[in-house]
Amino acid sequence: MHINPRSSWYPYRFVLPVLAIEILFVGVPLIIGVYYSLHKADYFQLTEFVGLQNYWTVINSPVVRESLAATAIFSIFSLVITFGVGLALALYLERDTRLHVFTRAVVLVPYTIAMLVGSLLLKWIFTKDAGIMYLVLGPLGVPDISVLSDPTSAMAALVYNAVWRDSAFAMILLMAGLKGINGQLYAAARVDGASAWYRFRRITLPLLRVPILITLIRLLIHFVNVLTFALILTGGGPNNATQTMGLAMYRMGFVDFRLGPANALAFLVLLFNLVLIFILLRLFRQKRVAG
Amino acid sequence: MSAPWKRRARLRQWVNVAVVVVICIVALFPIFWGLSTSLKPASDILEYPPKLIPTAPTLEHYRQLFSTGILKYIVNSTIVSTFTVVLCVVLAALAGYALARFEFRGKAIVLFLIVAVMSIPLPSLMVPTFTFLALLGLNNTLLGLILLYTAYQLPLAVWVLYGYFQTIPTEFENAAMIDGYSRLQALRRVVLPLSRPGLIAAGLFTLTFAWNDFVVAVVMNSSDDARTLPVAIYNYLGFFGREWGPLTAAAMVSIVPVILVFIIFQKYFLSGMTGGGVKG
Repeated sequence: MHINPRSSWYPYRFVLPVLAIEILFVGVPLIIGVYYSLHKADYFQLTEFVGLQNYWTVINSPVVRESLAATAIFSIFSLVITFGVGLALALYLERDTRLHVFTRAVVLVPYTIAMLVGSLLLKWIFTKDAGIMYLVLGPLGVPDISVLSDPTSAMAALVYNAVWRDSAFAMILLMAGLKGINGQLYAAARVDGASAWYRFRRITLPLLRVPILITLIRLLIHFVNVLTFALILTGGGPNNATQTMGLAMYRMGFVDFRLGPANALAFLVLLFNLVLIFILLRLFRQKRVAG
Repeated sequence: MSAPWKRRARLRQWVNVAVVVVICIVALFPIFWGLSTSLKPASDILEYPPKLIPTAPTLEHYRQLFSTGILKYIVNSTIVSTFTVVLCVVLAALAGYALARFEFRGKAIVLFLIVAVMSIPLPSLMVPTFTFLALLGLNNTLLGLILLYTAYQLPLAVWVLYGYFQTIPTEFENAAMIDGYSRLQALRRVVLPLSRPGLIAAGLFTLTFAWNDFVVAVVMNSSDDARTLPVAIYNYLGFFGREWGPLTAAAMVSIVPVILVFIIFQKYFLSGMTGGGVKG
């Protein structure tokens, strides 16, 4: 049997199941979400078409606005610190000595366990009852306070959770980029007497540009949307200070069951994500052209 | 006395070890502390100063969990994870193979969609997906979770396998097909056995996702019968409140399988994270 792949339907049969599942469970929900967002929804009963009213409600809601501020603070701090730690780890652990390979695996552990479990374990450390925080911070003159009951320190704990879990993710992405750099470049620069800092700035950073951008955007997409950290570690408190957008959306939809506005908010968040994803896709293409 | 350069080299070695020790403590302490707490008798958990290693280790919290029915949630998680992995790897192998071997119209669009779906963050999908799943009547079922997890992990699995199949020369399967194998037989008997590292990487990623997921499961399933382990742990958080013994024990029950799998298959994880090729 001879098959001409270009003209026949044959290849599509291989791809069809995947496409069907993606359309059904990602595509259709998106359409339904938009439809719901334009209606008044009481639990699951759509009562009337309300146009953009749900969007208006969401945009004017103080809870959403507060959550935007919390998300911005959380995302920016988490992004900068996670990226910094990830880059430092990637540079430090790049060599394939046994010690470094082992350490890489250890750093990855917080990333591989369930996000919920990681946040739960950190909550137990930050809880006043555990006595761990006072044991560490007491000698530094910090009073025995509950980290999670003060807005600022609760946000710091949330950022710590993000850095603790996701630095390994940044490390792996950046390390893949580092491994792609031709080692002879460094050797040549060394012969020419270039210092380590100079080599880093003039060789590593420029050649790592695309992996760095990809890492930053993938981290940003993750931090803007994540809700597990806040739900488990701080519960969004105290006083909604750490209620991020993902958590606000979750509560609007599944605690208050306001499905109209929740779908509107979800769609707005998705639009914002699409912008980030669009940038990411362009970077992927650039990477392929470059390498 | 040793030469100065030797001393400097040894000093550097010590600094290296010290840095690595600090990194390991920061990364692993929360897990170690959870393990320690889960083994302490209830009366010792809140003592100050806290003891890092339990003086009288006990399994009472684990016993309590199993007597209150955690086994059911473990079984649910296992069922969901197993079916998700099988479904995902089989479908991804088919699609990845077609993408790696055939030229067809729309291929670029398919690849584009795969990367796009891979980047969509789950939380922003949950509200409409719940609405849709409830319309289908698949909420509160394990099948619903299996289908959703498959949908969410397929893009990554296809991407990994697509990359891996490209590295396998076509001669083997061509020879097999000349010997009378059909395309599918050649894929199953020749290409797949050669692609073990790629299949393992795709399967592992799907497995840890399905085992660890909380956000999808908590939204879709509220019934006790269809509850998976992470959601059960979340409920314990409300139920046990400040009883950290059973809470940390439940955390350990979730972690142990993941860490075992991770130790055994460590190198395969990395390829999935970069969304790139696998080194065999």
